[in-house]
Amino acid sequence: MSPGSLVPIADVKPGAELAEALRDAGGALLRPAGYVLAEADLENLQRRGIQAVTIVTPRDPAEDSRLREAARARVLHIFRHSAEAPEAQALLHAVLAFRQEHFR
Amino acid sequence: MTHPSLAEMIARLHKLPAMPAVAMELLSSLADDKTEIDALARRIAQDQAIAARVLRVANSPFYGLQTQVGSIRDAIVVLGFSSVRSLVLTATVVSGLPAGRCPGFSQEHFWRHGLAVGVAARALARALGRKSDNLFIAGLLHDIGRLAMVVVAPDDYARVIATAREQDCPLQQAEMSAFGFDHAAVGAALAQRWNFPADIREALAFHHAPTDGTPGGPAALIHYADAIARALDLDGAEDSLLPHLDPASIDALDLDQHTLAQVLAETQEGFDHCSLLLG
Repeated sequence: MSPGSLVPIADVKPGAELAEALRDAGGALLRPAGYVLAEADLENLQRRGIQAVTIVTPRDPAEDSRLREAARARVLHIFRHSAEAPEAQALLHAVLAFRQEHFR
Repeated sequence: MTHPSLAEMIARLHKLPAMPAVAMELLSSLADDKTEIDALARRIAQDQAIAARVLRVANSPFYGLQTQVGSIRDAIVVLGFSSVRSLVLTATVVSGLPAGRCPGFSQEHFWRHGLAVGVAARALARALGRKSDNLFIAGLLHDIGRLAMVVVAPDDYARVIATAREQDCPLQQAEMSAFGFDHAAVGAALAQRWNFPADIREALAFHHAPTDGTPGGPAALIHYADAIARALDLDGAEDSLLPHLDPASIDALDLDQHTLAQVLAETQEGFDHCSLLLG
């Protein structure tokens, strides 16, 4: 999941991506997570009384690379007895791809 | 040093806390289509701590409900009885089956892993077009025999944990060396005693030896779900180790890389939300 920061709606620029789903006070979904806000959305949300939204913050490439390497090292630690086993290869590759993409 | 035999271990299972009554009713409803949902909903709602935890998950973004649900009845109407049953069972067994004192054993890691395997089994079942209800429960409870061993023989089990750590081997292997049987055998005995449905019994008994169960059946599925949960690191344990995988059982599931990637994503997301049940 992308990291997000809470930003007052007046400061949000068109093109910003929601880091989490946006709901009104009653819990009804207004926009899903990952939605890219256009100018018209920002006006619409302000009219609905939304004060702030959580948007995806840009990432630092060096930090990303460190996190990817940490995820890879952790997966290889869990697979330390089976990294060469043919029956574990499909899971190993899928988990490496997933965890390195999501930094988990 | 003599350890209890399997027969002695089973004879001592009465030391285990009783499975909470609501959990027993929910488990028997897995095998009984005539369950009175209405009466069961009222029984669940009486335990406010459990009901509150279940509603917290039901109202999480994972389920994407348009409106918040405020009662167990509403949750059943919107999510369906089987989803709510899985949530209630999880919340009930996690808080109702304490492990007592066994050095090195973490009850928190134990239940996080159980829940993770349940969620992974549900994701695998969906990907394979199978019914997922019992498989979620089978995943949740797949290591219940280990909890029983910890309660019945805490000192012996503490040595098993220490040995597994020293030799960097799976706990199951250290159980076999110390006791001559493993948690799957104890789990199978418990499942019999608690009258679990046949597919859950099979999963508990053979999740480390899936070739002894139905080919491609519940044991094979829990076998792989166990590995997926470990690989995703969902239990929070530092010394996690991928369990030994049985090649024929993995092949029989016939998952392509794309489907496996979807299963991983669904497992991670499902776990993130369901872990609210753990307290």
